[in-house]
Amino acid sequence: MLRALTLLLALALGLPVNTAAADRIRVVATINDHRLLVEAVGGDLVEVDVLARPAQNPDDLEVRPSHMAKVRRADLLVINGLDVDAWVEAVVVGANNPRVVPGAAGRVDVSRGIPVLEVPTTKVDRSMGDVHPAGNPHYYLDPGLTPLTTGTILEALARVAPQHRATFEANRQAFLARVDAALAGWQRELSRFRGAPVVVYHKEWAYLLSRFEIRQVDTVEDRPGIPPSPGHLVQLIRRMRDERIKAILVSAWNDRRTAERVAAETGARVVLLAHGAGALKGTDTYFDFFDYNVKALIRALE
Amino acid sequence: MRRLIVVCLAAVVVTLTGSPASAQDVESLRREVEALRKQLQSVTERLQAMEARPAPPLPLPAAPAAPVAAPAPLAQAPAPTTTESSAPAPTLGDYARPHQPFSLAERRGPGQLLFDIGLSADLVANLTQRNVEQAQGGTFAGQENRFFPRAIELGLFGQIDPYARGVVRFEAGETVEDGERGFHVEVSEAHLTLLTLPFGTQLKLGRMLNRFGMLNQIHEDDLPQTDRPNVLARFLGAEGLNENGAELTWVAPLPVYLEALLGVFTGDNEAAFGRGSLRAPLLTARLRTFFELDEVSAIQLGISAAHGETPEEHRNTLTGVDLKYKLVPEGWRHPLLTLAGEALFANRKVDVTGDSDGDGIDDLRGTTTRKRWGWYAYAELQPWQRWAFGFRYDWTQYPTAPGSEWAVEPYVTFKPSDFLRFRLAYKHTERTHRVTGPDDRGSARVVDEILLQATFLLGAHPTDAF
Repeated sequence: MLRALTLLLALALGLPVNTAAADRIRVVATINDHRLLVEAVGGDLVEVDVLARPAQNPDDLEVRPSHMAKVRRADLLVINGLDVDAWVEAVVVGANNPRVVPGAAGRVDVSRGIPVLEVPTTKVDRSMGDVHPAGNPHYYLDPGLTPLTTGTILEALARVAPQHRATFEANRQAFLARVDAALAGWQRELSRFRGAPVVVYHKEWAYLLSRFEIRQVDTVEDRPGIPPSPGHLVQLIRRMRDERIKAILVSAWNDRRTAERVAAETGARVVLLAHGAGALKGTDTYFDFFDYNVKALIRALE
Repeated sequence: MRRLIVVCLAAVVVTLTGSPASAQDVESLRREVEALRKQLQSVTERLQAMEARPAPPLPLPAAPAAPVAAPAPLAQAPAPTTTESSAPAPTLGDYARPHQPFSLAERRGPGQLLFDIGLSADLVANLTQRNVEQAQGGTFAGQENRFFPRAIELGLFGQIDPYARGVVRFEAGETVEDGERGFHVEVSEAHLTLLTLPFGTQLKLGRMLNRFGMLNQIHEDDLPQTDRPNVLARFLGAEGLNENGAELTWVAPLPVYLEALLGVFTGDNEAAFGRGSLRAPLLTARLRTFFELDEVSAIQLGISAAHGETPEEHRNTLTGVDLKYKLVPEGWRHPLLTLAGEALFANRKVDVTGDSDGDGIDDLRGTTTRKRWGWYAYAELQPWQRWAFGFRYDWTQYPTAPGSEWAVEPYVTFKPSDFLRFRLAYKHTERTHRVTGPDDRGSARVVDEILLQATFLLGAHPTDAF
């Protein structure tokens, strides 16, 4: 009834209406990587929207009413968790959708069950920069965690639409088979760089690097989210020269000029990686995204 | 041992399904078991690597020329970086129990807080002419040429239960009343929001900053400029509408955002609606919409209305329109350009007084209707993440007295981090009438002010919206 009224209202206001999508499960994901996973598990049964655009940094997204409009109609809200999308609470409060409020069935935190990296073991405060007290939230950069993340997503979809559980499971298994094959290939390609040292601009690649056994030995920024001090850069340059580190990994919103300066002093390469699916040209699909990053790592370390 | 676990898991799955397995089911189960085996292997490998290494130090605050603590090497091993090495090794029982393996909540144990705490401190300095100080005619009346804590806020917020969210804010700051300086502490907000009402509605109950116009609901530390625009201070008072009552909102289930709001309040605002009784309540309404114009720009439009009675028991109706535009280039973490403005219109009955019998004392001669208005607009350019430059223009009539005033305020903002901000502004105000202070001292028709602001945040802070 409510959907019918909505449809009429939308038509009256001249808004675009997709009647074919009306019967599908409406899912909103906070980041694009989870959108792709939900689409892989949900298949044709889901219509997935995303809040943070692929090129945006989900860590400091500005909450907009357009986000609330998306969540207002959602049957399921998929969040990354671990504080990277903590802004979603403001979206939920402004969306007036009881299906996705904290504790509701139509809400899932994909980080549940993930072996979280870099969980601080001592007291943290903001003198350390923009630290994540719950641990590194960028687990979606590790394709090896896909069985866990898709499992969590499957359970959430099945809560919302239990009649489709078998379909979701079949979709998931088919997707995992593809991920398995691709992951084996990526691991094979990167195996010759096992143990190779790299420097990262910001500590967001921990999951990716640990999956492929590449060593993160230092960071360009000495504290997360705070521009590096000259003293730190001097130390970093000395270390990179001493240890002959070949690559500095950066994402689109890192300060490339600082990274380039360090690279120029040390003979290393600055390598732009995709911080999420769709963040760079040619990374729109789940597999293209990891392909891109694997190839970029190979180019950097060769 | 691992093989034994896999066999046990398979047995449990088969038992639970309880139906004769067809060849297809067996194949499906095999895949499931294989997936579980891989998950278990992945987790086990990580745990082993974590346990094999001592816990690395966390990054320390940088000291000039001091060696910087290196992040943990990812290793000799496929293992991740910072982890707990002192944690006891998980047992099979640990694996079997449903839990979040490494979450902060679990680590904190029973002592963890179930809500967020945040503190913001807003410190302001004002420099102006001596005559303006004597007349108390500056932006912060009675606090001219002073450095003072304007608002120190302690905020507690979080989920009350599955159905409601709560916010309580205590505010302290320096005040001046009848020439006496003091320090006030008050509950600036204490409200709950029922989140699970039907038909896309929410009900907010308690003491709150009313959602009237664009800036009224924004706390002092989050204002786009150091001070509230003159038009808001004149029509709503220096504190704005901060009322006790309820707001009901409805968000349309449409592709574009459309929010409608109705509010009922006691009416405790001395500048506009001060009856202080639900027998003559303050009623508010607001309609807000938002459009993403393209990938990089968006606009928000709002109209608001408030109707109630003044402390003199005369009706007062305020209506307002507001607009905000932002341009955020693709991949930027902050807006390059923000344009915003707001206009207020008042229709208010006021007493007409005059010395009708020549005894030197003003007598009440009846009432009349005053129709007054004012507006402000500002533009802010933020070419770098930490620096912003802005300009505000402000013009307003006085709500009851004759005359008007205008002001311009260029400003620059520097944010070393998301939790610390400094702002420097120059404000020039011109009034049609001279303002005099106590005992007719000073004059403040033309006011020049330097405003300095330092704001910091500790702990949690609610997310700022568009």
